[in-house]
Amino acid sequence: MVCFNNGTISSYYGGDLKMLEITDLSFFILKIIIGTIGLIAFGIVFGLIYKGVDRKLSAHMQGRIGPPVRQPFRDIVKLFTKENIVPDNAIPWVYNLAPLIGLIATMTILLYLPIGGFNPLLSNQGDLILILYLLLIPSLAMVIGGFASGSPYATVGAQREMATMIGYEFPLAIVIVTFAWALGNQSLAPTVIQGISGAAEPVVLQNTFSLAVISGIPIWGTVGIIGLIGIIVLLLALLIVTPAELSKIPFDTPEAETEIAGGLLTEYSGRNLGIFYLTDAVKTVVMASIIVALFFPWNLAELLSIEDPIWLVYVLNIIFFLIKVLIVIIFSVTLIRVAIARLKIDQIVYTYWLWITLLALVGLICIMWDQQMIVSQWNFLDGYQPIVSYLGL
Amino acid sequence: MLEWIEPLIKTLTTDSGFWNPLVWGIVFIISYLVIYIVRGMGKKEYKKDTGQTQVFLSGNPEYDKEKMHVPGANVYWGFTEALKWLYNKFDKMHTGNVSDYILWFVLIMGLFLVIMVVI
Amino acid sequence: MNGVVDWLILHSPALIIAIPLLGAFLTILIGKIGPRIRNVFVIIIMAITSFLILLLVNDVFTNGIRTYVFGGGSTSIESSYAIRILFEIDGLNAFIAIIAAILPIVAIIYSWAFMKEHTGLDKYYTLILLMTAGMLGMILTGDLFNFFVFLEITSIASAALIAFYLDKQNSIQAAFKYIVISAIGALFLLFAVALFYGQYNALNMAVIANNISFTFIDKIALVVLFAALAMKAGIVPMHMWLPDAYGRAPASITVILIGTTLASLYGLFRVIFTIYGKYLFSFDSTQMALTLGVLIIILAVVTIVIGVFMALKQNDFKRMIAFAAIAEIGYMFLAVGAALSTYTFERGAAIISASGQMALKGGIFHIFNDALDVGLLFLVAGAVYYAAKETSLNKLGGLARNMKYTTVFFLIGLAAVSGLPPMNGFASKLIIYQSMFQINPLLTIVAILCSILLLAVFVKVFYSVFLGPKLPKFSGVKEVPKSMLIAMGIIASIIVFIGLFPNIFVENIVTPATNALQNATSYIGGVL
Repeated sequence: MVCFNNGTISSYYGGDLKMLEITDLSFFILKIIIGTIGLIAFGIVFGLIYKGVDRKLSAHMQGRIGPPVRQPFRDIVKLFTKENIVPDNAIPWVYNLAPLIGLIATMTILLYLPIGGFNPLLSNQGDLILILYLLLIPSLAMVIGGFASGSPYATVGAQREMATMIGYEFPLAIVIVTFAWALGNQSLAPTVIQGISGAAEPVVLQNTFSLAVISGIPIWGTVGIIGLIGIIVLLLALLIVTPAELSKIPFDTPEAETEIAGGLLTEYSGRNLGIFYLTDAVKTVVMASIIVALFFPWNLAELLSIEDPIWLVYVLNIIFFLIKVLIVIIFSVTLIRVAIARLKIDQIVYTYWLWITLLALVGLICIMWDQQMIVSQWNFLDGYQPIVSYLGL
Repeated sequence: MLEWIEPLIKTLTTDSGFWNPLVWGIVFIISYLVIYIVRGMGKKEYKKDTGQTQVFLSGNPEYDKEKMHVPGANVYWGFTEALKWLYNKFDKMHTGNVSDYILWFVLIMGLFLVIMVVI
Repeated sequence: MNGVVDWLILHSPALIIAIPLLGAFLTILIGKIGPRIRNVFVIIIMAITSFLILLLVNDVFTNGIRTYVFGGGSTSIESSYAIRILFEIDGLNAFIAIIAAILPIVAIIYSWAFMKEHTGLDKYYTLILLMTAGMLGMILTGDLFNFFVFLEITSIASAALIAFYLDKQNSIQAAFKYIVISAIGALFLLFAVALFYGQYNALNMAVIANNISFTFIDKIALVVLFAALAMKAGIVPMHMWLPDAYGRAPASITVILIGTTLASLYGLFRVIFTIYGKYLFSFDSTQMALTLGVLIIILAVVTIVIGVFMALKQNDFKRMIAFAAIAEIGYMFLAVGAALSTYTFERGAAIISASGQMALKGGIFHIFNDALDVGLLFLVAGAVYYAAKETSLNKLGGLARNMKYTTVFFLIGLAAVSGLPPMNGFASKLIIYQSMFQINPLLTIVAILCSILLLAVFVKVFYSVFLGPKLPKFSGVKEVPKSMLIAMGIIASIIVFIGLFPNIFVENIVTPATNALQNATSYIGGVL
């Protein structure tokens, strides 16, 4: 595994990326196996812890005491000891398979994310578009599971989930494509480029959909003042997309306990429900990690310029990462769900397709405009500067 | 010895990203095994053919099966409702009338003629 | 043994057309003996044709452009005397020909059980073979008038087949619409051919391409050809015949209809990139290439958006897939338009930028994937119709209990058409997204969004056909017969194979096709 430092980032330049070497094949597969198992454990444990923290915090915000932080673990244990009922109207194989596929797909995303300051385990085998599509699968699994349970409540919930999914996918796509465009379509500030590859001229970055590249070059340093506004707008859009992605209030119409009795989970019970519960927990970590990787990729050890001993670097980075994830979860999940009441389904679609999409488009336009200004600055050497140059970095 | 395997496991690159289905497949299978084991720790049994397996309708008796099935036309109500104005326009466009089909053809051809030839 | 194979490869362009054409007329005679022998005969004819196509394709990919002149003589033509029927196969035709090799044979295997209960099957198989011959002719020919003739053969055979369910009024109506649209399209095509002939005294594509000077008449010919072929390919807003035709024809026919639609799309690419290629590649034309590219992009975006939005609203299984098919065609069109708009002039040669090249690759790759994905979905729709005698999404439900294999095939089709990993649709859409965003990020955003809408469309189908409570009226429904399952299985396994090994496919088959598309000079050089 490679840490983020300037020397390794430069290997992402140039056309040909390192292919899988035959000699390394067995080592590579071993790495994948260990990594997968490790990340599954990480995802489940920390997903549940974050869920507990979230519940505790939101309870305090509402003036309640709230359950202890370890409550989600107890919930899982309880669900796994309950009966796993398959209703008469359900189609058993689809009904049982849906939660499994959802959790597995969520787990596989973890391998493409920079977790705890490390490079993604599969940094050269998948990119942001893949993550975007893999994020669809858990929602899709819930939809299909809900439909397959054959209950009218679940059906209503499932179709709401699908409509919500279409809704938030629009701004999400804008954010992801904007990131790749901003990095790929040119013009990193000369200082940044010199720092990375020693090149004096602007270099066109390749593989800009790769999370390793994106988190290797924090976007804040590449833009000017207009771009800064653009990034903040994009961050805001992504923070509002997150609760819908996770089916949290105010976008939890698919589950809406008070109206449609738990919606698409109405008929689920026992271990199947437990797996959906786990999926939700892991997905929260995944979404927060994506936001961290896109917007806050810094590592504490690098900021403090600690290089020795190596275990200290790892520990610092991991703790810093966990704190970043926690902050993102508090802002995008806890605060929003405590503050706002549930929306109606057509309001959700309307909100996302009009307001949030407009918001994200404003971000996109700001960043495109900003890049134009920076490019012209290289040509004419006038005043528009990337932020970093103001800070004297 | 392993040369033949190289093209099979090569990553698809697009200059801006990459995608290797086989690696993803391996990860998927490993995760499947692990989670299947985790799932196996849960309780499997339930009481078949009891009230337990009947559909939940807030305590009401179940209707005919036909009535329990939400027909396809009602799916995505929230979506079509939010975009009603757009759908009304599309519906107007699709008349199902052959003369209209030809009209569209002539329109497009005329438009292209103006743009490509005149300008 | 080797001599025979060489002889077969040498004459394969002629045999590929001749065998189904002769087979078509023999089918009626053999049909007198018995239905089983006739079915076997048709499958054998089609299998031989497919085998020959694969031989030819392999030859083209290893040895380069093949030119085949009917009536012998030298393969090169003097530009003064260019009236001679001639087939020319480069990477692009070869690529499309692979699709044309797969779809008809799958359709014929599927028909064995699917059409068993119907009468008039002699004519049915005859027309299928005619349609296949016409489609292959469109793909392989190097002569513009010939293209028109084959287009007419295909149109007439397809119109008759769309109207095969004679007892249903709707199918006759759809066939009528189809024949009107085809006739108009073909007429305009003929008009354009006449314009070329009047100017250059030639009908051969390569000869015309060599002489093209982009006069006023050439511009008119381009517009006419573009509009006619785009209508045949189902580009919005000239798409409205397509849901009618796809939705009303028997499922096996719809699968071949996809092939003919893609053959029209191929014709369009050939016209733009080869016939007008020499002009578009020249210095003073980058503006024209940009204009054409932008126009294509606009049409493509409209195609994708209207395709998916209309599909979301449909309540008929096959009509819904037809609208989704329109949206899929939009993706290929989008990629090609985007590539065209990046033509720039550098160091004495007009080139497509690297991202444009990649977009072109994705678009061409997507042609193949679309044919398979949409084809599989239509076969599933046919299977559901065969088993439940119903295509309305409002009346179907709960069939996953009765038809397990069909459900699995549908899920594969669903994942592939909406581009979920690890299916083939994801690979091609990934290439399209990741090249398009450099041309304009908004195009990628629309493409991603519509791909997710496609997912929603098919989830709706999945629910309303396969899931839900056990409906009493469908309690007697059984899984479809083996021949239909085999047909669906063939396509599904190709989908999964390409999905798992996309790189092999892109490197060995798609790249030669894109290179051929951009290289008008070598196409011209194959004849002159």
